Amino acid sequence: MLRYLTRRLGQAVLVVAGVVILTFVIMRLVPGDPAVAYAGPRASPAELAAARARFGLNDSLPVQLWSYVRDLLGGDWGTSLHTRRPVRDDLFQAFPASLELVGAALVVAIVVGIPLGIAAARYKGKLPDLSIRISSMLAVSVPVFWLALALQTLFASGLGWFPVAGEYDANLDATSPLHVYTNITAVDALFTGNWPILGSTLAHLVLPALVIAAYPAGVIAQMTRAALIEESSRDHARLERALGFGETAVLTRFALRPALNPVLSLIALVFAYSIVNGFLVEAVFNWPGLGRYAADSIRSLDTPAIAGVTLLVAILYVVANLAVDLVQGVIDPRVRSR
Amino acid sequence: MRWHKRLLAAGAVAVVAFTSACGGGKVRGTEDSPQPGTSQSAADATFVYVPNLDVVTDWDPASSYSNEIIAMENVYESLTRYNPQTKKAEPRLATSWTSTPDGKQWTFTLRPGVTFHTGKPLDAAAAKASIERTMKVGQGAAYIWGAVDKIEAKDATTLVFTLKYPTALDLVASAGYASYIYDTTAATGDLAKWFNEGHDAGSGPYTIDSWQKGQETELTLKKFDGYWGGWSGAHYSKISYRVTPELTTAWQLLQRGEVSFVQRLNSQLFQQASGTANVQTSQTPSFQNLLALFNTESGPLKDVKLRQAVQKAIDYDGLVAALKGAGVQASGLVPDGLLGFTPGQAPKQDLPGAEALLKEAGYGPGGKPLDLTLTYAQGDSDQEVLVTLLTSALDKLNVKLTAKPLQWTTQWDQGKSKDTSKRQDIFIMYWYPDYADAYSWFVNVFRSADPISFNLSYMKNDGIDKEIDKLPELTAIDKAGAEAAYADLQSKIIGQEAAVAVPYVQNYQRAFAKSVQGYVDNPAYPNVVFVYDLKPGA
Repeated sequence: MLRYLTRRLGQAVLVVAGVVILTFVIMRLVPGDPAVAYAGPRASPAELAAARARFGLNDSLPVQLWSYVRDLLGGDWGTSLHTRRPVRDDLFQAFPASLELVGAALVVAIVVGIPLGIAAARYKGKLPDLSIRISSMLAVSVPVFWLALALQTLFASGLGWFPVAGEYDANLDATSPLHVYTNITAVDALFTGNWPILGSTLAHLVLPALVIAAYPAGVIAQMTRAALIEESSRDHARLERALGFGETAVLTRFALRPALNPVLSLIALVFAYSIVNGFLVEAVFNWPGLGRYAADSIRSLDTPAIAGVTLLVAILYVVANLAVDLVQGVIDPRVRSR
Repeated sequence: MRWHKRLLAAGAVAVVAFTSACGGGKVRGTEDSPQPGTSQSAADATFVYVPNLDVVTDWDPASSYSNEIIAMENVYESLTRYNPQTKKAEPRLATSWTSTPDGKQWTFTLRPGVTFHTGKPLDAAAAKASIERTMKVGQGAAYIWGAVDKIEAKDATTLVFTLKYPTALDLVASAGYASYIYDTTAATGDLAKWFNEGHDAGSGPYTIDSWQKGQETELTLKKFDGYWGGWSGAHYSKISYRVTPELTTAWQLLQRGEVSFVQRLNSQLFQQASGTANVQTSQTPSFQNLLALFNTESGPLKDVKLRQAVQKAIDYDGLVAALKGAGVQASGLVPDGLLGFTPGQAPKQDLPGAEALLKEAGYGPGGKPLDLTLTYAQGDSDQEVLVTLLTSALDKLNVKLTAKPLQWTTQWDQGKSKDTSKRQDIFIMYWYPDYADAYSWFVNVFRSADPISFNLSYMKNDGIDKEIDKLPELTAIDKAGAEAAYADLQSKIIGQEAAVAVPYVQNYQRAFAKSVQGYVDNPAYPNVVFVYDLKPGA
């Protein structure tokens, strides 16, 4: 197991290193002068020269790459040209909000997706199965941006059931200031007993979490259905049926557990995907997460910030993949020998 | 414990450790907020401003030169404030001022009894120290003080400026950037660092309450009890800046009554807002106009006839109609509301005239084909409309226009290229003045410059340069002479030289709650709402 772990970790490090180099090269290939982005559109030649010197833009490309890698290893992700703050601090500020949103979405996706998958498998080929398959297909294929606008217009602006945008009611900052430990508002509010902010955050979470949950819920339902159907056709299922267990019991008591293994792997991968997929949803619902930060960075050609977001997302993907590989390695020893 | 459970536990620990590192036990919210569960006074009225972009990039009043102006103008004050209706600077921290006949010495009388938010008095010595620090820092718009040779605090309320050359210093002192008067003794250490931690040292009606970069409500200001204007009557006691990049979301928030003021909507939403019961709208021409700068130095447009032909090919009326209120017709180079505005000069499309000029130069229908290149701002839908209309109009005249949308940094780099063959034929950009003086267009965009900075028509004309250099003095001592000089220069630059076309002036389209009373847009301070001047209604 240790050898397998070392090998997978080594591969993960190589992937991240590749992303770092690629990101840096792309940053430098993008036309435009980062010094102008920092010093402003009306910067004087002296201000531009000072900005170039500050960011080492006069150095050769290899020297700049080496400085970038060295700083990254030292925990310095560079300074944002737009916010003028360390990129790492900006990411620490934005990422927990995205984590909160995607975490909530995944809870919804699992709670909805798995039972739907079971129901579809139970009624394979019948009307419930057909409905669930069509619904999950729709959930997977509908553009999140459109869905976000539609739900916002209908349930927030139209019916007034949910807030239009934001993470929580900003007025609560004055009446119920939040003690921040994790930067995940719902978690901090829960652990500090700040019920007004917790309630407000949960209300604000509903619509964006539902939109982000649409894709993973659809995929999870489809995957659960397929895995259950495969599992319930194996020899042990025939034996269970012969012993008098009903179809529902065969599926939920015996087939579900082994069928969940690929579903768990899928959830890990869908998590990283949802972080990026959620960028547009964050924009619509004004959620203060990575999406808004990435959009602002792209708009202002803030190359260090763009690189920071890219690197963070790449690390998330690598970590998610690594986690899946390790879990699979533990569950199925045959994987380790491949 | 089994392996997968250990992995799950390790993952959970890692997530908690990472997110704990993100927070660190700070309190989110106002500095002097009540404890959870307690409530604020119901009489507190909050003005909620919705900008599309992050509010604060730089808190230092010396170097601030970005979107934070929308907050800074409520926190800091300058000596004067520009009134676009009278086209004059009006009292703010200075109650009156005089200048010598040669315009080289200006004496400002300061308002007595003003204190900074730090509690220290705002007197002439403090004002001198802040302007001198701004000049020394030398960033952002600090160049506006370039004419100043010496500042003296004669007594507590008398501030005397001696200038190197005549300038309308009352206008300079009204600038939206770099003109703020602040307490330079507010911090014992690095003042810039102190400012950028989210502190202020202004004298304005509001002071910083909380600043949370990256949060939806990025900034909250609260009233400064010691404000010289006092707080009698109805005023907003708080201002909240709720960053909302998505225009549709901003509109929905306004409709629901969750916010007071939306900085910008698209044309469609603005039309909708105009017909909504609980919403007011306003349209005000800005001081920002679009310029189509023609390459007078190299390429085909070196020929003035071709430049004039392109000027005539622009469908000015069609463009303004297509912008649906986001732009108004320009009349000359100087927008209305500034000294130098020349009414009755709105250009019109003249395709037969353009064809005749092209034919004189050997081009046009039946003549040689003409290829032109144009660069404009990527993602700017208004500029895209201009490009579409111009491409179509020129196509009928046997002129092929190749338009490239570029990021500003790339567009500017290409425009400044030392290799003239790499430059574009037409450069599209917006221009606005850093303070309410039309001189900004002439000195920056049309005066000879080497190396090229913003003179992207590459015009080199000694006669015009000399006239431009006289403008500050005329503005300071002879307003009528300045008006005449501006009119003459515009006639030469747009008419004779045909170095530029001005397709339109941008229009500010604001939407705000019906309850907001007294709002007037002041284009000298882009996107600023002077919240103290408003009255919260029911």
